[in-house]
Amino acid sequence: MVLYAHEMKRNLKGFLIWFLVIVGMCFGCILLYSSVEASLSDMGDVFAKMGAMSKAFGMDRVSVATMGGYFATEIAMLHALGGGMFAAILGSNLLSKEEFGHTIEFLAVLPVSRGKILVQKYLCVITNLLVFQVFGVLCYVLGFAVMGESIPVKHLLIMGATQLLMMLEIGSICFCVSAFSKKNRMGVGLGVAMIFFAMDVTCRVIPAIENLKYVTPFYYCNATDVFTDVKLPVGSVIIAVCAIVISVALAAWQYLRKDLQ
Amino acid sequence: MSKNVIEIQNLTKNYGKNRGVTNLSLTVGEGEIFGFLGPNGAGKSTTIRSMLGLARFQEGEIQILGMDVKTQGVEILRQVGYMPSEAWFYPDMRVRDVIRYAAKMRGMDCGAEAEMLCERLQVDQTKKIEELSLGNRKKVSIVCAMQHKPKLFVFDEPTSGLDPLMQAEFFKLILEYNAKGATCFLSSHVLSEVRKYCGRAAIIREGKLIKTDTVENLTKTSAKHVRVVKDGAEEDFIYRGNVNELLRDLASHDVADVVIEEPELEEVFMHFYGKE
Repeated sequence: MVLYAHEMKRNLKGFLIWFLVIVGMCFGCILLYSSVEASLSDMGDVFAKMGAMSKAFGMDRVSVATMGGYFATEIAMLHALGGGMFAAILGSNLLSKEEFGHTIEFLAVLPVSRGKILVQKYLCVITNLLVFQVFGVLCYVLGFAVMGESIPVKHLLIMGATQLLMMLEIGSICFCVSAFSKKNRMGVGLGVAMIFFAMDVTCRVIPAIENLKYVTPFYYCNATDVFTDVKLPVGSVIIAVCAIVISVALAAWQYLRKDLQ
Repeated sequence: MSKNVIEIQNLTKNYGKNRGVTNLSLTVGEGEIFGFLGPNGAGKSTTIRSMLGLARFQEGEIQILGMDVKTQGVEILRQVGYMPSEAWFYPDMRVRDVIRYAAKMRGMDCGAEAEMLCERLQVDQTKKIEELSLGNRKKVSIVCAMQHKPKLFVFDEPTSGLDPLMQAEFFKLILEYNAKGATCFLSSHVLSEVRKYCGRAAIIREGKLIKTDTVENLTKTSAKHVRVVKDGAEEDFIYRGNVNELLRDLASHDVADVVIEEPELEEVFMHFYGKE
């Protein structure tokens, strides 16, 4: 597991930056709740009657004037988007960075099979995302506690788990892209995350493209659905698991047969 | 008779429609220092990458240290010290960490050998890779290739970027490891290195092996290097005809000075490359 430890160490700085920015921002927003509570209670009804916009962001089902509603519609969405972007950047770089950084010749001649390189790098993706989610959720628990609100443990756990699955799906797709590329594909990765997010927003308001909910991983991890106890869309989750398995298998297929050039 | 450390039979490797190497066969015996000569793009690196299992080849068989490169690639890499032509490492890592990382990946503690190599090659282990010149990165690459005391060294143009003192130290190290039984496969287009340190050499051109022989035999051809001052003019040329005719021709002139000698390896090399 030397390579795994090496990758974890090399990704630590990026992880800390993303974690501190995203979770720090979300935590700050929780702490800000008491100062915006009064104005939100005035605006709650307005937000709920903004038609498609309200529907897209779930504000027609929960009130932003409550801590739970505020968290689900604003903070959790921010966390999901930031987490998805982090997963995309992490996955899209991990394999191809050795090629565009020309370090592949150094790595490939060390006595480690390509299969092990791939597995340890993918484990690095999983660990980063898992730690991101575990500590993220813990920070939000702390936030609810600091604000003196009752802690929605069940909802936070489901949100954390479904968002982790979403991040794994995006990270795995980008990991696959990375296996096929010799260049830095960070832009492609970010594009994938943003397109999936846009799909989730639009498929909730336009019935004609409702089926996109099976494509975008942001659909099944939507915090408003979680906080309003909407049943987990099992079909979307199964598709997500399949997407992860197929992405990793494709990455392995390509990486194991790739020539060093 | 010593066993073969490298056995390549009918190796063919193409990159799509682009030529790599075609039907290449060669053997390198245990304890040899073997030169692999060819200009840029001749197929030297493709051959090496195929030997180390870094590139999948279409046809042929390769055995390194008695192991099949297709099925025992990792075990082969464990016993090989490879120095690529380009020395790239993680720029933000310190030299010490890169060397330790390479050793750890081999599951070995190479601290003592690495220290000795760093001292002899004057490698500053405290510096970050991004602070190093090409020559210094090459030195780190040498340490990474040698620190685990492999049975087989594979060097791809190792001395480019090294100053003459370091080149001399590098070959001194090779000779020392070689004296302890290590085999060395030296890919180069610096002919003087091959002439000075290699027992045998192969010449590759446009993906095909055109000659494998001892360096002595490679330079011992019917061709002669002639330098003559005749009729007041100096001439310098390679003569490939009958020596008697050359002497008769010279006798018909006013010759002030003449030197007839074996051609240098450089000239043999150019002879092979200038054929078409």
